[in-house]
Amino acid sequence: MAQHSSSIIAAGTVIRGRITATGDLEIHGHVEGSVTSEGTVTVGPEGLVKSDLEAEHLIVAGAVAGNLRGSESVVLEDGARVIGDVSAPSIGIRPGAKLRGRVATGAVSPKASTSAAPRTAPATRVAPRTTVNPSVPVTRPVQAAPVKAAPVKAAPVKAAPAQAAPLKAAPVKEAPVKEAPKAAPQVKRPPEPVVPVLQKRTKKAVKRRSR
Amino acid sequence: MAATVIGAGITIEGEVSSDDEVIIGGTLRGKLDAGGAVTVESDAVVEADIDAQSVAIGGTVTGNVSAAERVDLLSGGKLIGDVKAARLTIADGAVFKGNVDMEV
Repeated sequence: MAQHSSSIIAAGTVIRGRITATGDLEIHGHVEGSVTSEGTVTVGPEGLVKSDLEAEHLIVAGAVAGNLRGSESVVLEDGARVIGDVSAPSIGIRPGAKLRGRVATGAVSPKASTSAAPRTAPATRVAPRTTVNPSVPVTRPVQAAPVKAAPVKAAPVKAAPAQAAPLKAAPVKEAPVKEAPKAAPQVKRPPEPVVPVLQKRTKKAVKRRSR
Repeated sequence: MAATVIGAGITIEGEVSSDDEVIIGGTLRGKLDAGGAVTVESDAVVEADIDAQSVAIGGTVTGNVSAAERVDLLSGGKLIGDVKAARLTIADGAVFKGNVDMEV
């Protein structure tokens, strides 16, 4: 039976290091490092946390530069300023809270790292964009390298025709998918047979000269 | 400014620096710097140098203790390290191993 003791880091206190807690923790001072708790972690309005916070319940009313992972809930109160990812089964963001980062509800698996979970979320968002963009460089199938640069530049320029022709993008998607892999090996093949051809000529030239 | 209370279930590995009082009931490894009084409670384990206004040790402290005012080593306390303070009390039952410097 772990004793749930509550701890308070008062306003004038600075802690640089790792904090591991079995009970509740209130942070009103500065904390740099990492904070892990099995209970509730509350960041007061004067609190300044430059670390990842991991707890069962997280209540943030101060400034946090780090990822918030709650195994039960994360609540950002009015006055909270958070730069970092937030993940918990239950997330609450009250009016007045400021947040810049990814928000992911859903099961927080114990093995997944904080970088693995949010990467899967934007991957599904990026996928439909990449299928739309190859419709633009259909006119340039040979240039395999600038295909990655072209859609970034061409997307804002040709945003109007891309939106105006969503129906055309559907059949066009199949064409660049087939053309793109064919264009890449065609570029690489021509220089290869040049070298053995020269070697054959030199051998024949040596045999002819010897005769 | 209120006191910083590090409860029994807390482990801190790093530096702690406070303008005011610090009460430690958990584990601290690193360095402790306080502008007020430091109280080490009976179940606490502190492996750090302590620099404070006054220090009261009821738990286990491994490290040098330096106080501007006084150091009190209480009955259940254990101190392994040097003490530098103007005033010092060692209660009956306390364990102490180290040097003492009272010239301030």
